[in-house]
This record gives sequence, structure tokens and C-alpha cells, in this order.
Amino acid sequence: MTSPPRWAVSCLSVASVLAAWELAPRAGLVDVTYLSQPSLIVRSGIGIIATGALWRHAAVSLQEFFAGLLLALLIGVPGGLALGSSRRMRRFLDPPIMALYAAPRLALLPVLVVWLGIGLASKVAVVFIGAVLPIVINGAAGIREVEASLVLAARSLGAHRIDLFTKVLLPGSLPAVMAGVRLGVGRGILGVVVGEMYVSQVGIGNQIMQLGSSFQIDQLLFYTMVVSVFGLAATTAVRRLEERWRPWSRER
Amino acid sequence: MSHIEIDDLTITYETADQAGRFVAIDRLSLRIERGTFVTLVGPSGCGKSTLLLAVDGLIQPAAGEVRVDGTPVTGPGRERAMVFQDFALMPWRTVIENVRLGLELHRWRDGDPDRRAQRFVELVGLAGFERHHPHQLSGGMRQRVGIARALAVDPEILLLDEPFGALDAQTRETMGYELLRIWREQRQTALFVTHSIDEAIVLGDRVVVMGKDPGRIVDALEIDLPRPRTLDMADSRQYVEYRRRVRSLLGPGDAAPQAGSA
Amino acid sequence: MSGSSGGWRASLGSGLASFTVIAAAWELGVVAGVLNPFFTSRPTAILSALVEQALTGALLVNVRVSLGEFLLGFGLAALVGVVLGVLAGWYRTVEYALDPFLWFLYSAPLIAFYPIFVIWFGLGAWTVVAIAFLLGMPPVMANTLSGVKRVDRSLVRAAQSFGARDRDLFLHVALPACVPMVMAGLKLGVGRALTGVVIAELFGATAGLGFAIGYHGQLLQTTEMMASLLVIVALGVAATQGLAGLERRFDSWRTGPG
Repeated sequence: MTSPPRWAVSCLSVASVLAAWELAPRAGLVDVTYLSQPSLIVRSGIGIIATGALWRHAAVSLQEFFAGLLLALLIGVPGGLALGSSRRMRRFLDPPIMALYAAPRLALLPVLVVWLGIGLASKVAVVFIGAVLPIVINGAAGIREVEASLVLAARSLGAHRIDLFTKVLLPGSLPAVMAGVRLGVGRGILGVVVGEMYVSQVGIGNQIMQLGSSFQIDQLLFYTMVVSVFGLAATTAVRRLEERWRPWSRER
Repeated sequence: MSHIEIDDLTITYETADQAGRFVAIDRLSLRIERGTFVTLVGPSGCGKSTLLLAVDGLIQPAAGEVRVDGTPVTGPGRERAMVFQDFALMPWRTVIENVRLGLELHRWRDGDPDRRAQRFVELVGLAGFERHHPHQLSGGMRQRVGIARALAVDPEILLLDEPFGALDAQTRETMGYELLRIWREQRQTALFVTHSIDEAIVLGDRVVVMGKDPGRIVDALEIDLPRPRTLDMADSRQYVEYRRRVRSLLGPGDAAPQAGSA
Repeated sequence: MSGSSGGWRASLGSGLASFTVIAAAWELGVVAGVLNPFFTSRPTAILSALVEQALTGALLVNVRVSLGEFLLGFGLAALVGVVLGVLAGWYRTVEYALDPFLWFLYSAPLIAFYPIFVIWFGLGAWTVVAIAFLLGMPPVMANTLSGVKRVDRSLVRAAQSFGARDRDLFLHVALPACVPMVMAGLKLGVGRALTGVVIAELFGATAGLGFAIGYHGQLLQTTEMMASLLVIVALGVAATQGLAGLERRFDSWRTGPG
């Protein structure tokens, strides 16, 4: 069952969709207001970059994103590791954490706005909530992944609680923590965009909503693409870090 | 006073379904003299590894006591070091960093830890591999790191829990003689757990045979073969006799089958 | 994360226990003046608000609207996801063709399509359904694809040695074998679809739980907000647990790790 190479088929598929998308409005099959066109998107994209609008809004969104992510790291990494080390805490905190993870946390947006207002703080909070949970959950799992015999060996060589943590559990769970960070980044980006779409005066999400209500789909789609690309770049970067810290477990 | 004194040691585990306690070792007593190489052989589940963990202070007995130089053992100590069957090397540390681990943990002040670690890396024959990570090494090499790590803290007692169990038969044999060569330097008191009757006899001054259900000592044999031990000793009449005796002490179908030996 | 020992009843028990403790602490926090009820409300108030909403029928209306949108949106997502996933898992060419789009669906902030859907469908239930579908579909498709692709080679070989042809392999080996992965995908999709429903309602609906949260939020009525939020969380947990239970039934024949 030989099939043509992956590259060829994927490119062909994307190219044909793009072509159809471009040609359908020209042929009068679809109204361009509903679907826009690749050429329009590119053109408006250039405009957005040229006027500096992209940077203006991206700056705000990036600020909120990184602030929230930093907070999530500062609280989530130690929190997850602490959770993983204590069986009693795990049994107690497991259900609420899993419930929070499964629950539609973005539904908290109105609550966050009531608490923190319509400015930066509420967006930072959304990013934080989205990113912190995978970090905590993965961190806790990561600690348990550390082989028992490593802990035994370290104890045999005289390690007490603190040394055990810093020299065995922490480095051992790092790959899992990075995986959690990778998930958190994705959820954080979504949080920023949705938060800004809900209530904001500036930022990419805000732009998306405004452009939507003024039917400027081409610009809207350009912003969507920008966010996608950023998301991909960010998660790839984290994945690289993850791989670097994990060369030894590849052979397992 | 013996170097290690084990008195009426009883160790129990809670069973997984909490139905009761499983007795791993029942009132075991043993004396080990300074500088002797004692091998422990027995069937799976007889508690030999558990015994080692108790001597290292990593698990607490339900009853009885382990004493080192007269002092009861309450936890791990610098004078005892252990080598593990699955090597237990930190995968993110290089060879030299792994060997250094014990020195870091004991806050070694007697000279430069790196230089000291380097000495032991060379002693076990791994010169040139200092910056390698464990996953880049073969099984035998990894265990050498494990041995170096244990030796680096200058222990008086070496505890080896089936250290060559994860290696293939060829490497096992080589490593056995390597171990003796390394041990000859300092002649620590060594307690070596194994499945293999041959390994027990070739390596040990004394073979202690254990039985299971519950874990206890069946008997012990003094091995009167001259040191250094060599390959051709396995053909001597004395050796064969030792082998026969240990075999009979172990009972039918217990210890691991021997590849190729008589 | 909760282990298999004791089963789901035990984890349900400990779950209820933790929630009770948290609720008690919350209530005490308000009573003690540590928490400001304007911002956080309190469990007793939320409970009575819920009861009131239930009695006036408002709760039922909102739940019915949201649930309906969710079921429709997620139902479509499951259907399309499984069909496309199976096709892509079985036919390499289909997989290569659909791969870039699946990647895009996973990496793009799909909620950004909300304004576009409003242009297409207007500010009503259909937009909500569309968002739920859009969010719920990718994990179902990706997991189904993976499940079909990763069918144990030895099973395939064994079937082939007994004379199975492609169609038999598909029906009797690949489909049954991919069920666990499909269930995992459905579980992931449920959460995302529910999120989609809530957000879309939040942005511009006239009924439903998400709408209720937004409405009360604008009026700074924290208690009513929390009440609707609680119902949403409960729905999400119920849906996930329901699927987990279904997964367990299918899991009983699974041998090997996991």
C-alpha cells in the first residue's frame, strides 16, 4: 500500500484549499464578506504591520501572557513538586484540581473581571489559571516518575529531605515539568485572546472582536494567523528545552 | 565483637490489600567479621535484599537489631555504602558527577571531591568516560560507576545487592573478577547478595545460604579457596564439593540455573 | 491521577470530602470577615440562589439551552471527528492531506472564529453550536486517527495469517482496537466543547448558563454568577466522569499496560 510522500500530499492539499478559497469569491460562488480571500488577508496583513498596529496590540497581549506565565511558573512548579511529594496532600487536593482542570475555566472570566477589573490584571489572571494547572499536575506526576531506586541510592549515600529534593526529585521531574509548561503555554495563549475578546480596550483579542463586528474578516484572520504562529513557535521552543533535558530517557 | 552483628532481626511488610503483615525475615541472626567477603545466596523472595536494606539502615526492623562495631543501626551512615542491581545512577549526571554524589551529600572536606571521584573512576577502569552520561554506557560500565560511587565515600562496609543481576552471563563473570580486584585494594567488609551459586562461591570467603517463607538462614559454609580467585578453581574437587553442598542446602529447583557449568 | 485501588467510588468519596471541606472553609472565611462576600459570595448564599433559580424555572431554562447546544455541537464533533479520524488513520493519503488542517485546528485560538461565526449564523444558538463543534472536533479526530494508526501490528499479522482481507482487518481488528483511544479523545473533546458553549454564550447569547454568568457579572451579582458557574463545573465533571465510566466498560478487555 504505497502512498505518495507526506510532503507532497500535504502541500497539495493545502494549496488546493487555498486556491479554492481564492477563486471561489472571484467566480462569484461565495460572497467575500463571509469568507475573505488569501490575497486580501495578505494585503491587510501588510497594512497592519506597516501601520504598527500589529506591534501595538501584540505588545499588550504579550505582556499579559508573559506576566501570567511567569506567575504560573513561580507558583506552579514548586506547588506541583510539593504536591507530588506528599501522598496525603495528593489525596486531598486531587479531586478539586482535576475538577478545575476539566471545568471550563474560561467561564471564570466574568468573575475575574468583577474581582480585577477590565485592565491587565484580569487577563494575567486568566493566563495564570490556564497555565498553572498543567504545570502542577505534570510536576506532581513527574516526581512520582522518579525511580524509587534513585531515591534509595541517594538516601543510602546520606541524603536527607532537602538534598533528596534538590539533587534527585527536582532534576528527575524536570522533563515532566517542561511538558506541563508546554501545555500551559498553549492554554495561556488561549486565555489571553479570549480574555481580551471578552473585555479589553486594547490587545489582539480586542482587535479580533472589533474587526469582527465591522466585518473586516481579512484583518481578523490575519491576527488569528499571527496568534497561531506565535503559539506554534512558543510550544516548539519549550519542546526543544524538554528534549534537551530528556536525552537520557529517550532510550527507555 | 564482630564488625556487623545482626541479632534476631525480624522485618515485616504490609501487604497491598492490607490483609495483614507479610513476614519477610524472621528472627535472623548473623555475625560478619571485619574484612571478610560474605556472599548471601537464596531463592527469590527469601529476603536477602531486604536484609541488605536493613543493614544499610534504609528500612526499620519490626524487631531485633543490626549493630555495626557495637552501635545499633538507625539509618544510613557513611561507613556503609550500597551497590544496586539496577545501578540507580542519576541519568542527568555524568559519570564523574554520579561518583561524586556521595561526597557532595556527606559534605566531604577531606580534599577535592572531584579529584577523589576521578581516582575511583580510574580504579574501576572507566578512565576517559568521565563526561559520559549513563545512557551512553553499557550495563557493565554503569555498574562500575555504581561501584565507584560506593567506594568514593570510603566505606568500611560494602553492600552489594545482586549487582550483576542485570548483566549478561559473560559480563557477569568478568565483573565478578573485577570486583575482587577492586576489593583487594582496601578489603572492606563486603556483603554480597546473589542468585547464583557459582558467583557466591567464587567471590566469597563465606557463603550464607538463606531460605524463604519466612526468610531465614539455613546454613553457612566457609570457603577455603586461596585468593586471588582464578577461573580454573571451578574445576577443583574442593569447588565441586562446595557447589554440591550449597545446592543441597538450597533444596530442589531454587537457585538460578547455571549456564554451562558442571 | 487517582489510582485504581478502591475504584471510582472511593475517589468520588474523597472528592466529596475535599469539596465539603473547601466549602466549609469558604463559609467560615466569609463569617470570620477574611473573605469579602461581595467578591466571593458564600456557599450558603449560592446554594439558596440555586434553589431559587430552580424553583422559578430559570435554572432549568438555562441548563436546557446550554445542554442542548452542547449535545448538538459535541455530537456533531464526535461524529465528524471519528469518521475523519478513521479515514485518516486507515488511508495514509487522507492523513497526509488532512494533517496540516488538524495541526491548524490545534494551534489556532479557535475562539477567534467567534466573530466570523456570528457573521455567518447570527447572534444565536447556532453560533454556539458551531463553536462547540469547532473546539470539540480536533481531539476526537486526532485521537481516533492515532488509535487506528497504532493498531498492534501483531494483531494485524495474526488476522492476516488467518486469511483476513483489508475489509476484514478494518472491521474486525482496527475498529475495535481503536476504541480506547477514541474514548480518550471524546473525553478531551467534552471539556473543550463545553468551554466553547460557555464562552460563546458569554460573548453574545440570550439564554444559557454562559449567558447567565455574563449577565449577572455585568450587574456585579456575584452570587448568581457563582451559582451558574457551579452548575457548569458540575456538568463538566459529570460529563467527564460519565465518559470515564464508559471508558472503563470498554477497558475491561484491554490487556497489557495502562
